[in-house]
Amino acid sequence: MLKALRRAADRRRHAHGDYGWLFTPYTGNEMVAIDCKTTGPDARHAELVSLAAVRIRDERVLTSDSLDLCLARPASLAGDAIGLHGLRGIDLADGTEIEEALARFLDFVGNRPLVGWCLKLDLAVLNHYLRPLFGFDLPNAGIDVAQCYQRQLHRNHPERDVRLCLEQVAELLEMPVMRRYSALGDAVTTALIHLRLARGALLAEQRFC
Amino acid sequence: MVDVELSQPPFSFLDEEGRDRVRSGIDLAYFERDQIILDAGQPGEYVFLIHKGEVAELDPTLPGAQSRIGHYTVGDLFGAISILNGKSRYRFRAEQECLCYLLPKGLFKQLCEAYPAFAEFFRQRLAHKTRLLTERRAEGGVAMAGFMLARVDQCMRDPILVESTTSIAGAVHTLNDSHADSLLVQGEEGAGMVTKTDLLNALVVEGLPQQEPVREIAHFALITARRDQYLFEVLVQMTRFKVERVVVMEQDAPVGVVELTDVLSYFSSRSYVVSLQVEQANSLEALAGASRRTPELVRALMAQGVKLRFAMGLLAAINGRIINKAWGFVIDECYHADSCLMVMGSEGRGEQILKTDQDNGLILADDLEWPDCHEQMQRFTETLIKLGYPSCPGNIMVSNPEWVGTETEWRGRIAQWAASRDGESLLRLAIMLDSHAVAGKTTLLERLREELFERCSRDEILLSYFARTALRFSTPLTLFGSLKKPQHGIDIKKGGIFPIVHGVRTLALERRITATSTLDRLDALVADGRLEERFAEDLGEALSLFTELRLRQQLERLDNPDGRDESPDRVVVQELSSLERDLLREALHIVKDFKQRLSYRFHLEYS
Repeated sequence: MLKALRRAADRRRHAHGDYGWLFTPYTGNEMVAIDCKTTGPDARHAELVSLAAVRIRDERVLTSDSLDLCLARPASLAGDAIGLHGLRGIDLADGTEIEEALARFLDFVGNRPLVGWCLKLDLAVLNHYLRPLFGFDLPNAGIDVAQCYQRQLHRNHPERDVRLCLEQVAELLEMPVMRRYSALGDAVTTALIHLRLARGALLAEQRFC
Repeated sequence: MVDVELSQPPFSFLDEEGRDRVRSGIDLAYFERDQIILDAGQPGEYVFLIHKGEVAELDPTLPGAQSRIGHYTVGDLFGAISILNGKSRYRFRAEQECLCYLLPKGLFKQLCEAYPAFAEFFRQRLAHKTRLLTERRAEGGVAMAGFMLARVDQCMRDPILVESTTSIAGAVHTLNDSHADSLLVQGEEGAGMVTKTDLLNALVVEGLPQQEPVREIAHFALITARRDQYLFEVLVQMTRFKVERVVVMEQDAPVGVVELTDVLSYFSSRSYVVSLQVEQANSLEALAGASRRTPELVRALMAQGVKLRFAMGLLAAINGRIINKAWGFVIDECYHADSCLMVMGSEGRGEQILKTDQDNGLILADDLEWPDCHEQMQRFTETLIKLGYPSCPGNIMVSNPEWVGTETEWRGRIAQWAASRDGESLLRLAIMLDSHAVAGKTTLLERLREELFERCSRDEILLSYFARTALRFSTPLTLFGSLKKPQHGIDIKKGGIFPIVHGVRTLALERRITATSTLDRLDALVADGRLEERFAEDLGEALSLFTELRLRQQLERLDNPDGRDESPDRVVVQELSSLERDLLREALHIVKDFKQRLSYRFHLEYS
């Protein structure tokens, strides 16, 4: 509710701005799978380290047309997170400035629907940056693949209540895992899982019994 | 950027920079099971590299199991040849869920230009594949059967007999006159053999005079065979005794000679050669030449006792290729992708063994502009007539505008036929049900057939009307279950073949079975659970028997075209052997049983 109100307000404010077109409904057949890597698990304090997006058209993942950005080193980059995504301070030495990165991201994504693994977290981090710099939250429609998977699994096996990570799900669905822990790799994996789920991978099979 | 294994050929022909270009240029695509990845006639836009899953390559113009021509699994590439050719010749279908990397056409061409070794790899594959395919098509699976079943008297030469007192010079003259390699010499106790080599040795090595009688140099210990032995036994004998000729004896007298070269050329001719001729024909004349040889092939197959089912399969494949090639020669290339030529009736079912008539039609894509379509079709029909397909008495040919139409027009026609249900419409529906695409864009026909199933398979009243035709002709059995024996013979096309074909067609329509050959339909009906396996087998055998009887009469008619002018469908029971008569009676009983089942299923008891 609050989100809807906020989005309406954003739309009014930016109707004639540079990013007004982001608020128009999308009519094409493309989607964009996104993934962010941050310095920590807590969306409110985490800082963005890298950001990737890849387009999906029909049954295709257009990896040739993707966006993969490393950001300038954030202040809170520390040991744990580096272990997770493998981006050291030195790797980020010539990273993009956050404002430029977000501008390119917005241009790439446009008003297409977003697809992500635990999309809420990614959106929280992105909006955390977007609001002060551009003055609005991402208005795009979103599909959370993790949630889709849970829902389909639950429909088949109501007794099971497990939370699986991206890697495990990909393995269960017999999908390849692209460079795990790089933002682009995860985005591609997410896109593939989405394609499979959208075609009813779980509904048709009883492999998980 | 994606991780993709690029250490295998052809990517190993690229350097690191080229591989990077591949990595950054490829997309990923996910295909469901049975999804068509690339259809025949479609322009190739991508090279596909399979990351996971299996893909089958199909030739949609061939019936049933023959259509599978390739299989690709993890790590295999396909689609490159489609790019080099401009369009795909075959259909690629996902056998399982598939994840493929897609290398766009533009990038692929750039790579081919920049790395000659890379391009060479695909060119070689193209040539290799074409060769493999031609060989495979030509074989058709019966060459082996022909090989095993040929008998000596099919490949035997008349012997050249000379008196034992003939001089060497006389023998050489006789050999030259008759273009033979060997002579038989009439001796006191049986015949002897003199070969060219013997004559040469006698003259040069031993220095005998030309007037010496041949008796002196002939071999009287002969390797002999009987007329009815299998040819391969003779080949084994030749190998065992290291000779090149075997004399065929009958009641202690030589009746023929089998030469090694004849055996070898015999085995390499026949079915193999006809299909190879069709494949290699590059003009209408060559095609017509190959087409004229098919009756000879049929006769050879029948003589060798090849099962009719396989003979029909082979002939259907050859006929399909002939029509497909003729289409390629006559019709402009630019229309191929937007039109679909179908054969219908017996040819669509793949049951036309001799060329009895041409039933064909044409579907055009809705947005195709083809101003001189009618003239071209006229020409095509005439070409087929030249190739030996007589014109259809019912005028079901592409030269008739009623059998040419855009997809929408065809849909309209089907709807109209299904709605009116009169005799003519039912006939046309039946013809349409048997249609099979032989050239052009096959999806057009598939969509139309789906529409046909959609419209008819649930319409009980239509099905019942449709099935009733199967009961139209009475089974030629008497009240007590023995064969009727009219003087002019019984009509097995009406009494035997038609009820089976039509009844099975009706069941196939009801169960939405896409196969068109009656025997394939029977198999599918068994798999579907509609018919018991035993009964379906019996029906298949009965149909084979009828077809064989009919074929024999057709062949006889070909031999002496003016001898008998009655229809080949008539079988005079009195002329059959008692075994054949028994078989025929059994088969007709099966037909009767099938008709009863039909009338029970479709409620035809009182109609």
